[in-house]
Amino acid sequence: MKTNFLPASVTLFGALLLAPMVWAQGGPGPGGRGILAHSPANDNKPYDKHDLSGIWSRNGSPGGYGGGGTCRDCGDRGFGTDVPPLTPLGQKMFDANKPSYGRLLGTADAAAHSEEPIGRRRAVPPANDTDPYQHCNPMGPSRALIYPDPLEMIALPDRIIQQFEWGYGTRTIWTDGRKPLMDPDEPRWWGYSVGRWDGDTFVVTTTGVDERTWVDHFGYPHSVDMVLEERYRRSAYDVLELSMTITDPKVYTRPWVSEPKKFRKLTKDAIKTVDGWTGLMEDLCAPADEVELFNKRVRDPAGGVIH
Amino acid sequence: MNSKWHVFGALLALAIPAAAHHGTGASYDLSKPITLQGTVTEFHYANPHPQLFFDVTDDKGGVVHWSAEFYPNPSQLQQGGWGKKRSEAALAVGAKITITLAPSRAGTQVGAILKLLNDKGEVLLGVGGGGPGEVPQGGPPAGAAPEEKKE
Repeated sequence: MKTNFLPASVTLFGALLLAPMVWAQGGPGPGGRGILAHSPANDNKPYDKHDLSGIWSRNGSPGGYGGGGTCRDCGDRGFGTDVPPLTPLGQKMFDANKPSYGRLLGTADAAAHSEEPIGRRRAVPPANDTDPYQHCNPMGPSRALIYPDPLEMIALPDRIIQQFEWGYGTRTIWTDGRKPLMDPDEPRWWGYSVGRWDGDTFVVTTTGVDERTWVDHFGYPHSVDMVLEERYRRSAYDVLELSMTITDPKVYTRPWVSEPKKFRKLTKDAIKTVDGWTGLMEDLCAPADEVELFNKRVRDPAGGVIH
Repeated sequence: MNSKWHVFGALLALAIPAAAHHGTGASYDLSKPITLQGTVTEFHYANPHPQLFFDVTDDKGGVVHWSAEFYPNPSQLQQGGWGKKRSEAALAVGAKITITLAPSRAGTQVGAILKLLNDKGEVLLGVGGGGPGEVPQGGPPAGAAPEEKKE
């Protein structure tokens, strides 16, 4: 095998040395466009606080990051660090979920960050994880909202549609006055959601979420009895703030309030293919690509699992 | 591996704490990058991770089959000017490449691509050594729509 480490390695080292510094600030956007920072020009733009329609991005760049990093401007990809104590059932479910995100289990890196919840310090190689999304199963609402890629909200007279770029998942939030569906006959991957206005805050209540979904990328569980409340507030023309609360007594001994999440508004032109086609990308997780091809031929062998 | 390389690896590990917090980061060792010269046998421009398969000839003339994944997904490549057609043309079967990988922790012939060059030394798919989270670069391809003014 021919190997040639230097001097290319010196350049690589330099680039990697700088890279975390860039990420820590939110990072540049794909295509070198840079983070879509808040523009003072937007401060005086009129807007309707009850209009949530449009494309919103948590990291402010059109394509987001595929699989890593944090964004101090908008929180990272976890639900929150103030994790309530788990019930015995919750602990059992938590232990069964093995994520590949976070600090690697058993490493010095994980040991050096005991201040972080254990959920962020127990990553295993993807070949050995139990992450349902690694097999293209839907992420469910809280995890999809946490993912740093854009989502589009489409407001109709009786509902709001949330279209997520990552996974290309679609979720319906009904605003036609119906009540939350408690104890539904059949759980759904995206649950059953209703929305109402509480002053200038849009409050979404979701029930009946299939408990195979995770709360976030770190494998925090929930039961089918979870009630997820989202509170959206459009605080500026280009800023949307979100806070979530999970109430799930079967799993958590008290309600779990998320860290605040913040989205920037994007124009559809900010996301563009090489053909100039604008709008959300189709970041679909197709089993033909992900499970049959990538998992079997790259991901699993990388983890020592040979098919 | 010589002592100089060990020192480099140690420095590298210190430099990239954020890189380890990645879904695929658990599979690959970023502190021990390797550079190989190979020939492309297969390439898939697929979500979420485009995949590259290539052969490397070892010192005894034997052929070793390697596979690798890209950190950027197609959406990120698109916005960096690396569409599917351009990428597939750059990585056609038989193309000669020089590739730097974070190797599998399990010791298998799999890696995550940190840097990718063609036989002219040009960076392919914008993967130029920036590590996980690198923004694909390369500029818009010929014929692309001009950049439009944003709000």
